[in-house]
Amino acid sequence: MASWPEHPRLIGTRIPRVDGMAKASGRAKYPSDVRPEGMLFGVMLYSPHAHAKITSIDTTAAEKMPGVKAVEVIAKAGATLRYQGDDIAAVAAETEEQARDAIAAIKVVYEVLPHVVTEAASMADGAPKIVNTGNVRKGRAITKGNVNDAFKKADATIEGTYSAPVITHVCLETHGLTAKWDDKDHITAYASTQAVGPTAAELAGTFNIPFTNVTVLTEVMGGGFGSKFGADLWGRTAAQLAQKAGAPVKMFLDRVQEHLAAGNRPSASGTVKMGATKDGRLVAMEAHTHGTGGVRGGAGFPLPYVYDVPAASRTHDDVMVNCGGARAMRAPGHPQGCILMEAAMDDLAEKLGMDPIDFRIKNLAPNDFHTPIYLGELAIGAEAIGWKENRKPRGQGGKGPIKKGFGVALHQWGGGGTQDKQVTCIINPDGSVELKSGTQDIGTGARTILAVIAAEILGLEVGQIKSNIGNSTFPTGQPSGGSTTSPSMAPPCYSAVTAARDALFAKVAPALGVQPADLDVKGGKVLVKGEPKLTWAEACRKLGTMPISELGKFQPGLASGGVGGCQFAEVEVDVETGVVRVKKIVAVQDSGLILDLLTWESQVYGGVIGGLNYGLFEERIMDPTTGVMLNADMEMYKLAGASDIPEIIVKAYDPPEQKARGVIGVGEPPTISTAAAIGNAVSNAIGVRVPVWPMSPRNVLNALAAAATEGKA
Amino acid sequence: MADLDTKPRPGASRRDFLRGSGLAAASAVISGPARAALDEAAAEAREAQDAVPVLSGQVKITLKVNGQERHTTVEPRSTLLDTLRHRLDVTGPKRVCDRGSCGACTTLVDGAPVYSCTTLAVSCQGKTIETLESFDTGPEGVPHAFHQNDGLMCGYCTPGFVTACKALLDRNPHPTLEEVKQGLNGNICRCGTYVGVLKAALAAAKSMKGA
Amino acid sequence: MTMKAFEYASPSTLDLALKALAAPSSEALSGGTDLLCRMKDDVAAPERLVYLKDVKDLAGVKGSAAEGVTIGAGTLLASVVASEAVKASYPALWQTTLEVGTPQIRNMATVGGNLLQRPRCWYFRNGFGLLAMQEGKSLVRLGDNRYHSIFMTDGDALFTSPSSLAVPLIALGATATIVGPNGERTLPVEDLYRAPRTDKQRELTIEPGEILTKVTIPPAKGKNASYEIRAKQSHDWPIVLASVNLTLEGETVSAAKIMLYGVAPIPWRSAAAEQALIGKKLSVETAEDAGKAAVKNAQPLSMNQFKVSLTTTAVKRALLTAGGMKYWEA
Repeated sequence: MASWPEHPRLIGTRIPRVDGMAKASGRAKYPSDVRPEGMLFGVMLYSPHAHAKITSIDTTAAEKMPGVKAVEVIAKAGATLRYQGDDIAAVAAETEEQARDAIAAIKVVYEVLPHVVTEAASMADGAPKIVNTGNVRKGRAITKGNVNDAFKKADATIEGTYSAPVITHVCLETHGLTAKWDDKDHITAYASTQAVGPTAAELAGTFNIPFTNVTVLTEVMGGGFGSKFGADLWGRTAAQLAQKAGAPVKMFLDRVQEHLAAGNRPSASGTVKMGATKDGRLVAMEAHTHGTGGVRGGAGFPLPYVYDVPAASRTHDDVMVNCGGARAMRAPGHPQGCILMEAAMDDLAEKLGMDPIDFRIKNLAPNDFHTPIYLGELAIGAEAIGWKENRKPRGQGGKGPIKKGFGVALHQWGGGGTQDKQVTCIINPDGSVELKSGTQDIGTGARTILAVIAAEILGLEVGQIKSNIGNSTFPTGQPSGGSTTSPSMAPPCYSAVTAARDALFAKVAPALGVQPADLDVKGGKVLVKGEPKLTWAEACRKLGTMPISELGKFQPGLASGGVGGCQFAEVEVDVETGVVRVKKIVAVQDSGLILDLLTWESQVYGGVIGGLNYGLFEERIMDPTTGVMLNADMEMYKLAGASDIPEIIVKAYDPPEQKARGVIGVGEPPTISTAAAIGNAVSNAIGVRVPVWPMSPRNVLNALAAAATEGKA
Repeated sequence: MADLDTKPRPGASRRDFLRGSGLAAASAVISGPARAALDEAAAEAREAQDAVPVLSGQVKITLKVNGQERHTTVEPRSTLLDTLRHRLDVTGPKRVCDRGSCGACTTLVDGAPVYSCTTLAVSCQGKTIETLESFDTGPEGVPHAFHQNDGLMCGYCTPGFVTACKALLDRNPHPTLEEVKQGLNGNICRCGTYVGVLKAALAAAKSMKGA
Repeated sequence: MTMKAFEYASPSTLDLALKALAAPSSEALSGGTDLLCRMKDDVAAPERLVYLKDVKDLAGVKGSAAEGVTIGAGTLLASVVASEAVKASYPALWQTTLEVGTPQIRNMATVGGNLLQRPRCWYFRNGFGLLAMQEGKSLVRLGDNRYHSIFMTDGDALFTSPSSLAVPLIALGATATIVGPNGERTLPVEDLYRAPRTDKQRELTIEPGEILTKVTIPPAKGKNASYEIRAKQSHDWPIVLASVNLTLEGETVSAAKIMLYGVAPIPWRSAAAEQALIGKKLSVETAEDAGKAAVKNAQPLSMNQFKVSLTTTAVKRALLTAGGMKYWEA
């Protein structure tokens, strides 16, 4: 079994990312910045209707317009469009303005079909059937134990209905690529993707050319969050237009289509009935849930979540609507499951009169590896937020209109790496070091951690390592998703660099008249039996003209998967305005061995802020009558700005036994429980459960009004 | 002006409508005397065209970008952002929302941070245009502070934040955290890098002070 | 999206601007933060834009606390925020201006552009028309009206008036000066607005070819303040905003003007709230009563009941801000 250095010099310290200056100075060239010679601008025409059939489509006028070089029809007469934003046709022209004018000149006659864009409408009696198999697809039912009998043992039972809306990824760089045919059967694509290899495979398949004839380049890219794993229809279309026009074509979605067609996180709603004994032990749960992932389904989420529920029964309806299809979004399913579970946990703790932390601890599974992690994390988090001193029972948030509240939620994520990815390490005679792999950096710091590993092992500085990724022709790397990138890439990187170092030692040792085993590297020097003998450059010069190139593969012992994590929220809720201000978030997260503490913390901060957006602001708003998205922008689709950011305390839970687990990714876990913790803090503050996320003024005031009405009744 | 304020639904061109019956509809909402005055003024408009150059179609312009005179051809409708990115290969400013909400396109025009996605290039002639590519990349500059404090992840919002931050510090070299937040409220980050951004802004203020 | 092609003129004098605007299908362009977005969204397609920012006479804040203040329509919002005269005499206007948009928007947008921007109603912005009627039915009533009106909802105009500056300006008794082919006219700021009855009408009374040149605010007497409620603390639109202008005799309110944003298709004057307050001493209780009076005749739509409580709170807190009694900050 391989293992990481016991006393690392760089690993686990705070190392600024290697491409940070290029990004901060505006010099980094994103796929959407690249402009190959003669490049044309591609624009998509997409459906203005939620559901329609194309009666006819006429591109004659568009083809004749100034600057237009190619037109591609995607949805021909007779084709059905299943959501606003569904692809119809595309144009490539010399300027973007010309391409857009041409798009406007495409004449399409539609037969508008009945649509449903909300779950309620889709599930209603007599709703138009938008999917042949029916608008509701039954999810896998869960039955564990005898729920009816189990509920009889409950001393307290709650039944709550909770819901979270559909949100969209809002990648700042929209989906797309720039396609360039190098000759008739070789293509280079500058793609904004989280998976260069699969994107290349998709293009190769589309054009029936060998995978080796496709180069997908992603030097840097502007965010994906789970929605950018392929070339997509628009990317393939860009390549088609480029082929037709005989010139490179750039095709990036506009912001509206990005919201509509490039993925979303499904909604989740449900009624959760849950019971516990008076000493705080859960006995049973019964849940009926539903959610929508658009036209293709995919709205499942885990429930029960985290806690040990002895008897559970759950049904789930996946509801189809005429909206763009869901795609994985940072911890798919988990934020939804966490909201429903943790809201019910809090409401039940309230009914039992128990402290929410005590109640949670009582219901952690006894033999689960997460349990000791949670116990450690909860202690740290409770201390950091001042739970004991500051938290009051529900509804005692203060005398004035602004009520203070505290909430907590737990999460978990599997993650873990694959065992089939590769990294090449090259040591050149001039001393330069290059890592190559077909993975990519979507902003997590993937490029940097590879350089950190190499610098650690070679006794060099991080800046001396060229971490060359984002190229599909390099040894196969991991797609950036599911918190799998670091645990997939760190072991082969370790293997490659270690092997390259050993190969160097094998070359240098005879020249020094020693055994390779006598050599070591430290501080830019090659050591013989602990004594510096050569500089790194001098040692490498002994390679003559032949660089070292070693391909690294997986080795056991360096990476792992499976994490817990908990978050605490402190909020202030103005009960006269419904405005919620998050004052503080504490995030305690385990993720094995941290390679770069600086980028690790950024990932956790980012996860928390993503969760804060989900908790307070985000919501895709569909119009039932016209079937269009009403807020396909970045204004009425609300995302936090600087003044919305609370104090965020990030604590790594990494005692030695956690470090010993090796590398685990951290992309997903820290975004899971934030919205749940905020919702719980809001109900703690105002004494009333706000059952509908986000915690907007409207949802808060509606909950208060409903409680007041009930109180009077 | 006819303004039915409706998006042309597919199949019907609103522009054709404007040119045809739309004007008649417009006159219906304009009172008599105003209408007459308008007609008279319409005739005068041609004179105005002599007095005021009216640009249309392809227009040659010169923009002073990052200290250089740049000549290019645009249309009146070309935004400053698209002109920088598509015609001058100045790709630091990014197109994200394209509606003046997110700040990724922030550019300094005569020293003031503006959204270049909702600024017309033709209106920027004779003005000083600065993008972050022209900023000091040394240890006292804003980009350095963003790098050191990890004020970026995917980095697509970063040019806008760096530019807004530079503009803020140019005007207020000693901001409080609250003032930094106010100064950066016109920018949105999706990766959630705000903590690093705020640290970077304060660090940049500090190193500039030391300068 | 790209805008439809148009002609562009940038006159340097008001006279030339008027002439240039006389061409059919012309629109005046200032900051561009509203108009250019509507053009990108294809809900506006003027054939000519006349850029007013090169008309230097249109920009600037003049005057003093004693004689009142005149703000050129082309004045940047950032310049209004920077004006000591505005800050000292008209906190209602200053605070509201500070809360408009973002630093970048305040560097671009002008006072005139703010007053004459078009409604933010998402049906309008999505191309369904100002009244958003389809086959005789209101899309707003049938759909998502959380941000729509709670007053005048028996009519078809259910959007809310979008200018937040109009609210304090009207409360302060400001007038607007407009020049056009027929010369100059001055009118109260509230007369810039109307609730359209048909899809053929705009909500603005300014005629094609006319230019708003300035607003004039009389000297401030008594106390004025604004209070804005919004979801995000960073860039966001107000959900409800109240501006109040009070004349006090001793501690008693002798005159009051209470204006609201976000509740009606025009800037909404709450005479009921004013009446509830006049003759009373300003206190948390009387402010609360005024706030409740403000919503007595509210007729919310299916999804915006919450705006009724927001209106009560906004009125109450604007009054108590004016009175220096910010109980909620205690």
